[in-house]
Amino acid sequence: MIEVKEVSLRYRDGTLALNNINLTVGDNELVYITGPSGSGKTSLLKLIIGMEYPTSGTVKVMGQEISEEKSDELRSLRKKIGPVFQELKLVPGRSAMENVMMGIRFLDFSGQEIRRNAADALEKVGLSHKADSMVENLSWGEAQRVSIARAIARKPRLILADEPTGNLDHDNAVNILNILASFKQKDTSVIIATHATHLIENQKNVTIVRMNQGSISVEKRGGKE
Amino acid sequence: MKNFISNLGYFFKEAGRIIFSNKLSNIFTFSGTVLILLMLASVVAGWNVSSRLVGMLEEEAEISAFFDEDLDQKEALELAEKLSKLDGVRNARVVDESEAYERMKEILADDAGILELFEHNPFKAYIEIRIDPGRTESIIETVRGFKEIGYVRDNKSVLKSINDIIRGIKTIGTLIIFAVGITTVIIISHMIRQGIYNNRDQIKTLRLLGASPMFIGFPFICVGLFMTVAAGILTSLVMLILINKGYQIMGGSIPFIPLPPKADLLLGVTLVIMGVSIILGTIGSLFGLSSIKDQ
Repeated sequence: MIEVKEVSLRYRDGTLALNNINLTVGDNELVYITGPSGSGKTSLLKLIIGMEYPTSGTVKVMGQEISEEKSDELRSLRKKIGPVFQELKLVPGRSAMENVMMGIRFLDFSGQEIRRNAADALEKVGLSHKADSMVENLSWGEAQRVSIARAIARKPRLILADEPTGNLDHDNAVNILNILASFKQKDTSVIIATHATHLIENQKNVTIVRMNQGSISVEKRGGKE
Repeated sequence: MKNFISNLGYFFKEAGRIIFSNKLSNIFTFSGTVLILLMLASVVAGWNVSSRLVGMLEEEAEISAFFDEDLDQKEALELAEKLSKLDGVRNARVVDESEAYERMKEILADDAGILELFEHNPFKAYIEIRIDPGRTESIIETVRGFKEIGYVRDNKSVLKSINDIIRGIKTIGTLIIFAVGITTVIIISHMIRQGIYNNRDQIKTLRLLGASPMFIGFPFICVGLFMTVAAGILTSLVMLILINKGYQIMGGSIPFIPLPPKADLLLGVTLVIMGVSIILGTIGSLFGLSSIKDQ
């Protein structure tokens, strides 16, 4: 699913965000990327979705190399990804339902499927009753779930969630992580970046990627989930 | 395509949101567009009327070719036939002595009595040649080249004036239409750029989700089209009132101005304004859309 080979990322201001990292993520895998703030978690996710491009090395997602020159391929790759952004990126002035639908209108769904997928996704995250509420009137936790609904309504092959538990209390954070983890399916992988390591201490059958100052170490945990 | 049609409602709704999210600025843009289109409509209406005037002036452009007196009527008719086939000649016909006399009588009107002082008709037959005023010089040269032609009365200064008026009207009209077109495109593209800037976060998100430039940009094209078409409709309505009023005033007090049928003028102006609105709205939107890349 994802192949990161000897990748370094240096921003224009000279900051080295990733330093020669290697990572492979297969199908049907649940990956937690952990580490303190500034360790490179978000940078790694940005590389995977094509918001940034590696300074050196290669990133391949679903067989497609992430490269600035291949914008058409990148666009079709992004259609297969369900991103949950750290800052949510919901569109104000629209309801929860409209936000979810907006994220899937340009995918290969009919008009009926768009509405049905959006309604199903909101139901899965427990927000059916808030479907018509404007997103600016929702709590952070609810808005977070709308963002997840937008990601899963796309029926993606890869879900990328960047700090989905930020600003949430313990119960809500666990709830959000469980919702996201439940979408790990036969051909869908889920990657969650979080600095809340205490929430994943007891997780089984997952891959834990620990990041620190741009370097990584990988731990594959087996056992029953 | 399936997506596009099922998303039409979304595109229109988004276009409405873009317009109403920046109401004051868009009201100014709309008003500006209406005023510019009004200027264009006035030029189009003026052009329509003046093209009739130009047509009349062009019809009046003529030279008189006096032929040898030895030619009989049949030969004169054959010569007129030859002249009428020249490039730039609209029509050539023989004006015989008696018609020439009657014309002069008409011109002299109250002073026509002076003609009775002549024992015989003093006027000669000639060939009246109606020509394209833009080609006066070359036609006169060609006509003079005919051996049967003795003298050509060319009214060059009159023909030159007619030609200058025609060229002036056409140049001013073209310049105004050009200026109006460019101004409208600039206004609309600026409005679209502003809309794109105001919605830059949404655009970034849609791009990250894999939306195509067409999906992202189409609501903005709709905005440009809505604004110009609405401005076109309002302009047409205002022109309906103005033309009605104009016909009442001009038709009554300046009866010699050759006004075209009112319905034809209204239809012509409306079609041009609506066509131009759609074209300029689309071009302006497409220009404005180029700024999406910067977001």
